[in-house]
Amino acid sequence: MIDALRYEYVRLRTIGSTYWLIGSALVFQLVFAVLIALSLASSSTFGGGDETFEILATIGGSTGAPLLMAYIVGLLGVFSTGHEYRHGMIRATLTAIPHRTHVFVAKVVSIAVLAALTSVMCVLIALLAIAMFGLDMPSGSAFVEVSAGIVLFVTLFALSGLAFAAILRNQTAAVAVLMLVPSLFEFIIQSVVVLIKTNSSDPQGEGGITVILRYLPYDAGSQMFVQSSVSGFVQRAIGAEPFGAVGGGVVMGVFVALLLGGAYALFVRRDA
Amino acid sequence: MALIEARSLGKTFGAHRAVDDLSFTVRPGSVTGFLGPNGSGKSTTMRLMLGLDRGEGITTFDGVPFTGLDHPMRHVGALLEAKPFHPTRKARNHLRMLAAPNGIDDRRVDEVIDMVGLTGVRGGRPGKFSLGMGQRLGIAAALLGDPHTLILDEPSNGLDPQGITWLRNLLKHLAQQGRSVFVSSHLLQEMALLADELVVIGRGRMLANGPVHDFISHSSLGSVTVRSPDLGALAPALEAIGASVAAADGGIVVRGVTAEQVGDAAHAAGLRLHQLATHEATLEEAFLEATGLSEEFRGTHRPSEGGQR
Repeated sequence: MIDALRYEYVRLRTIGSTYWLIGSALVFQLVFAVLIALSLASSSTFGGGDETFEILATIGGSTGAPLLMAYIVGLLGVFSTGHEYRHGMIRATLTAIPHRTHVFVAKVVSIAVLAALTSVMCVLIALLAIAMFGLDMPSGSAFVEVSAGIVLFVTLFALSGLAFAAILRNQTAAVAVLMLVPSLFEFIIQSVVVLIKTNSSDPQGEGGITVILRYLPYDAGSQMFVQSSVSGFVQRAIGAEPFGAVGGGVVMGVFVALLLGGAYALFVRRDA
Repeated sequence: MALIEARSLGKTFGAHRAVDDLSFTVRPGSVTGFLGPNGSGKSTTMRLMLGLDRGEGITTFDGVPFTGLDHPMRHVGALLEAKPFHPTRKARNHLRMLAAPNGIDDRRVDEVIDMVGLTGVRGGRPGKFSLGMGQRLGIAAALLGDPHTLILDEPSNGLDPQGITWLRNLLKHLAQQGRSVFVSSHLLQEMALLADELVVIGRGRMLANGPVHDFISHSSLGSVTVRSPDLGALAPALEAIGASVAAADGGIVVRGVTAEQVGDAAHAAGLRLHQLATHEATLEEAFLEATGLSEEFRGTHRPSEGGQR
């Protein structure tokens, strides 16, 4: 296992995409955190430190916008297995480390650690922006809750990218799926459910088809850091109460675990 | 030094039986050539040997399957792809990455880079390498762990004539050191110079396995040309020992027996011989004869079928 981790460590250190993806995530975070902090510093109506931190740490993601860092770091997950198939590396990899379980687990561990570290750095950048502009610091509990939510979501998001690439064995398709499922497919499903529900005999009643909305994995996972969003208002208006941070995290965690399980099963059974 | 033993290898893709009950042995101290027409299952067999493809049978290296080897690159070096590397990862880093899990230090990385002649481009990105340079990098990866066994799929692809000569000398040298070398190639003339033993397959099945000389000498295309003033009596004497005889330009061409057998038969019958010339089939002729009915992909244009008009 240590051998496989050593391989992943050198693999990640010696490929340019590791640096430009992490660099991009951090630069975006810094630029947008500074811009938002600048705007908040001149606003007299904005809320306290908790809300400020939520907005800055997620670059607006706490209001329902896509969590940009997750999409960027997610590509690291896709490339982790996608490069193996796109460039015919998989056979060289498996002749260096024939234990497929070790190879797969090492990829999962290395991407999880990298995604978590990157998201922690993004959170620290938010704190830096708060300090730079003299804004109110968050309370300890809010800091821990939001930070944990962000780190968990980004990590699970990146692992789902790894799993998509391992299942599809096609890097381009995996990138497309990772980008489109959270941002488009889930939105389409939400729209269709809302349309059906609002045209039903009981547009505000609980249960029924709206239950689906609680189990959309990425939307559910975002409950770990979203405080209030348009999507949430709409869902509640049609009788769908989203899971909270814990429930949403569990839904996303189970989804990613199932994806990884499927990817692993295929990885060990398929021809390289 | 490892004895490679492949037993009952088999692989099916859908309805297509790509490899069918292949068993062979590669002995230390020899270069074993792996021959077969396109699509005959050579690459699939090599992948099966290394556990990369899921199929039937088992291959052991001194009794241990590849997947059971600790630090496998120290035991078996393999080249299976033409360009098995990320195009933007520097050549040296590519090797360092493969070396890391096998406990191989950077000094050995630099040694193999030097050995394959890529020192000048060690910091280069392989995406810009020619096919031949890519092959050299692949060969460097195979040599990284100083393994006792090499499994190389078409290693001379893309190499220039100097490169092919270099590779031949290298593989012969490694075999002379007692290593087992199993190598596939389409370059039959090259294989004739390189290999000690052959495994010849067609449509996934074994066609021949043994020393190169035996494979060639068993070809029916080998013949003995005989000139004699006693041909009328000699031909029946040769047919009596199992030879086939055909008239040719003032003499006869005899197949199925050796020149020594022809001489002995003539002597026993009290017949005179004026010329006894052996024509040994080339490896290419013997290969084409052995695989003639085993081509997976057969073109419709055959010169012997009226191509020249």
